Amino acid sequence: MMTAQSTSVGRHIKVTGAGIAGVVSCLPERQVTNAHFEAQFGESAVSDVVKMIGIKNRYWTDEKTSTRDLCLKAGQRLLTQLDWLPASVDALIFVTQTPDYRLPATACALQADLGLTSACIAFDVNLGCSGYPYALWLGMTMVQTGAARRVLLAVGDTISKIVDPTDRSTALLFGDAGTVTAIEQASAQSASFVLGTDGRGACNLIVPKGAFKDHSQSGDPRLLDKASDCLYMDGGEIFNFTLKAVPALVNETIEFSGIAADGHDGFLFHQANMFMLKHLTKKAKLPTEKVPINIDQYGNTSCASIPLLMTTCLQNQLRNASMQLGLFGFGVGYSWAGASLSVGPLKCVETIKC
Amino acid sequence: MSEFFEGMAEIFEVDVSKISSEFELHSGEAAWDSLAIVSTIALADDCFNVMLEGKALGDCQTIADIEKLIAQAKKA
Repeated sequence: MMTAQSTSVGRHIKVTGAGIAGVVSCLPERQVTNAHFEAQFGESAVSDVVKMIGIKNRYWTDEKTSTRDLCLKAGQRLLTQLDWLPASVDALIFVTQTPDYRLPATACALQADLGLTSACIAFDVNLGCSGYPYALWLGMTMVQTGAARRVLLAVGDTISKIVDPTDRSTALLFGDAGTVTAIEQASAQSASFVLGTDGRGACNLIVPKGAFKDHSQSGDPRLLDKASDCLYMDGGEIFNFTLKAVPALVNETIEFSGIAADGHDGFLFHQANMFMLKHLTKKAKLPTEKVPINIDQYGNTSCASIPLLMTTCLQNQLRNASMQLGLFGFGVGYSWAGASLSVGPLKCVETIKC
Repeated sequence: MSEFFEGMAEIFEVDVSKISSEFELHSGEAAWDSLAIVSTIALADDCFNVMLEGKALGDCQTIADIEKLIAQAKKA
């Protein structure tokens, strides 16, 4: 058994024998343009924020629809298009920060919703912006070890439900999306992962209240005038973190993959905000034409942003060809993850509406 | 410094001729808010390859204060 190596950037892990079979993203019907926010913040404040975050449009769920519902639609479509019988799925992992309930795990509900068998491994993972590469690592590792032959990764969030509509720094930023990725055995495939964590940043991106500890009572002066059951973000701290962590993550992931940057066909970054993405692309010296951006259309969709790039910007390419992709997730935790793997041609790569 | 001043002028949406070390960040013309601070972090990274902390920037009163932070960061 190979032991993974560590650096200050993270654990370096190779997974072999598993690959992506298909991806479906599901967006809610309701489209929210920037005009929606002008009554609250005024036209000029909205235009200032938009200039920075680069978002023109996002999709939000209605009150009745949850992340589970978006992922259910995506999962049903994916199983149908791949001709996968529900009984052939051995594991379901649900990555989200917006589960249906504090308990039970939403993955259990999705197991029943999708008609998967009782011999199915199902559990939730509480990660946000870094969640997609983590989900791939988990799912592919399960296939590599033989614990599962086919795995569904339901990855999504409905952050619109936890933003304070009066908080300028978060109200415009987020969009909702649910995605499901199918993983199966693929003997010739291998993927390289770099995974890391720094919990010292936990309080810079947090919902202070609503679970079993009340951080709003901790005396943190930044939280004094904030709604304690809504998402709080210290934008400056998050930006500092991103600038420190992400260029190193990109370099190490590329180096560890053994495939030069030139040998990669695309670099898919978590869509945090436009300004940050452009800065990171420049800093990591990546060619902009290989860094697809769709935050203008969908907002920051948390852990769903990387699979959503695959089913939108890269849909035609992934349907027809094999691409070597670098995937980079980073944020809440702090938690970060890089992956380099070959994806496609995919039998199913689609974006649907809920 | 000129690339840095040009960037600061862009952040504050004022003519570059108005930007000097004495420029008041909290003057009527400027909005020294979180967006401006994040932009300044990126600008300093671009121009000088240094990382400024958001909190320290928030305490600055003038562009000279920011220049001091840049000088400290270069030494570190």
